[in-house]
Amino acid sequence: MSVLELASFPAELLRVDVSAIDALAGAEDALGGVRVDVVEPGEPVRITHILDAVEPRLRVGGGRTNRIDGVAVLSCVDFPGEERPLHEQEAFVDLAGPGAAFTPFSSLTNVVLTFVPGADAGHVELDRAVRRVTLAVAELLAEPTHDAEPRDVERFELGPAADTLPAVAALVQLSDLGQLYTVYVDGVPAGEAGLPRAVEPAALLDTAVTCGEYHWAALRNPTLFLQRSSLVRALFQEHGKRLRFAGLVLMRGYEQTAEDKQRAAERAAGLAVELGAGGAIITTDGGGNSHTDTMLTCRACERVGVRTAVIVAEMADPDSTNPGLTDWVPEADCIVSSGNAEELVPAWRPERVLGGDALLDGTSAQEAGPIPVRNYLGATNQTGHLALRATTW
Amino acid sequence: MVRAVHYLNQFFAGLGGEEAASTPPTRIEGAVGPGRGLAAALEGVEIVATVACGDDFFAEHEEEALAEILQLVEAEGPELIVAGPAFGSGRYGYACARVVASAGVPGLAAMHEENPGRGAAGAALVVPTGSSVAGMRDALPRMARLASALAAGRELGSPDEDGYLPRGFRRNHLAERTGAERAIELLLAKLAGTTRTEVDAGFDRVEPPAPVTLAAATLALVTEAGCVPQGNPDRLPSIRAAGWLRYELGGEISLATGRYESVHGGFDVTLGNEDPNRLVPLDTVRELEGEGRVGRLHEAFYTTTGNGTPVAASTRFGQEIAEDLRARGVEAVLLSGT
Repeated sequence: MSVLELASFPAELLRVDVSAIDALAGAEDALGGVRVDVVEPGEPVRITHILDAVEPRLRVGGGRTNRIDGVAVLSCVDFPGEERPLHEQEAFVDLAGPGAAFTPFSSLTNVVLTFVPGADAGHVELDRAVRRVTLAVAELLAEPTHDAEPRDVERFELGPAADTLPAVAALVQLSDLGQLYTVYVDGVPAGEAGLPRAVEPAALLDTAVTCGEYHWAALRNPTLFLQRSSLVRALFQEHGKRLRFAGLVLMRGYEQTAEDKQRAAERAAGLAVELGAGGAIITTDGGGNSHTDTMLTCRACERVGVRTAVIVAEMADPDSTNPGLTDWVPEADCIVSSGNAEELVPAWRPERVLGGDALLDGTSAQEAGPIPVRNYLGATNQTGHLALRATTW
Repeated sequence: MVRAVHYLNQFFAGLGGEEAASTPPTRIEGAVGPGRGLAAALEGVEIVATVACGDDFFAEHEEEALAEILQLVEAEGPELIVAGPAFGSGRYGYACARVVASAGVPGLAAMHEENPGRGAAGAALVVPTGSSVAGMRDALPRMARLASALAAGRELGSPDEDGYLPRGFRRNHLAERTGAERAIELLLAKLAGTTRTEVDAGFDRVEPPAPVTLAAATLALVTEAGCVPQGNPDRLPSIRAAGWLRYELGGEISLATGRYESVHGGFDVTLGNEDPNRLVPLDTVRELEGEGRVGRLHEAFYTTTGNGTPVAASTRFGQEIAEDLRARGVEAVLLSGT
């Protein structure tokens, strides 16, 4: 795909056919059903146990994809307490109150799918079914765009750009630590998708990458953030003006051995060189371990002459003066902060809770005290999708 | 009116110059010296007393002086403390910083941003001033503005908004542009020769101690892999541990399957639980001990969960474990990370 046309349609087109959604869920053995709620911005609602957020999309052929603007499909599930290697972390969205400012979902119409696990369904099958149905619902919701006129069409094409402009690549990290902590490239786990490799930048905006990573909520890159990637769209926008968009490299976060981390970092840097990039923006997915992948990639790029800017979230204790990065290399001299995930958001009592009344730690979602930013879906995501940042006070 | 106490050195309190620098802590009724100008600019705040101390006295009897000053301050029952301005004077600035940092009530000190005493202010606010007394005219209204805001209980704005020096705390706010747009901006600037950053990461670089001869050394096993005796008797959390644990090894030569497990919530522990020596390599180290390649293995291993732990907390764990190890004569550590 060399050109993508994204046609935007207004949220007024949204028709939620609950029985059709029921049918999609009903076809999955791992699901016992689904509850559907539609909530609007400003409603005193808290949504819990969120796995992912997806924008309604429909590919209509000829390089064109329709999207409904201002709508998100949120998938929620409370995994049964089965023994499993990796555990989802609490993730929520507040549509009002002090937490509303931390996620863009508070200004969207949210179609909330609360899935009921099927009897005896294991977490692997359950997760797969939830992801499959959520993406199918996102497609279903975009069906009415077939017969409607788009409000506007964004065209993503890399035309000619002057050689004198600096060439900039995006190096986008995708988590893969195992089931529940995995991002998918064309449906394949990032760890099995032959990463790092260069892909068409527009493919990212066309749902080539989907999120199945449920670790720290604020550090996630929900699918919608990739479909609407601020980074890739801004690079397209600047292409031919202040820079040349050299390309997009997808890399894996959570490479599992020191050797693999080093190798992947060097290969990603090599791909940036092959793309002719003089500069690279390196993003991060998840936290801790994956910050090492980010930092090694930064170092590898700088060593082969590709200058870098790195986007990371901070994990600074409110009472500490340390930004709390879990890894750092001296080459990372140009870091963008996507906010401090440890800061507390003041307590707020929603009138209604969707997704599940009890938080994963068993406490009441309605009566919860101050909650750290890290529990808000995508709030400190490290693709630079949002405007949150930390500064020194 | 909110009651405030003002701290000054001997000179600004009018007790004398260098010849009075040995004056011990003294209470003076109401506002004196710069306190008068300050009082005139304060809103809703009354300086009920001034506490003064000689620069030499504070420097030479620091803890004693501080205790006496705090006693004099406390006797006034203040809700606010203000110190200085100390401008560029290091000893005076240090005393101001320590007093406001220790007073137990909201407060601020004023001094030049390069005053060496600034670091002692910790979480207390420092209002920047000029480097010499010529900066008095500017300093007093700024101190008054911030003190009045504190007295009114208003939520503090950013350092720029409220006119104090950044203390280093990282606070969130919404920027005008997304992180991606800022990254492009910063990268283009870097490519054009100007490198800027939003995060001053600067890790601690710890000078390692002199090398030991392993064959003669006592070695301890330390891990953040969340390795605990089966059943997790001390309830080590799987994320965000609040501390660390120490488990006696007795004469064990290997961490037997089923007797130890990992409670770490940040990685797949299946392989670790299959053979806990993959978490804490006791079996291998015992072999090395048998071969004389390791002098002696310490009789306990140390464990915590390194998952989502704030850096400040893990720094504390590290310091505490290191102290404990040193007290027990351990000279080397094998740290297995995950």
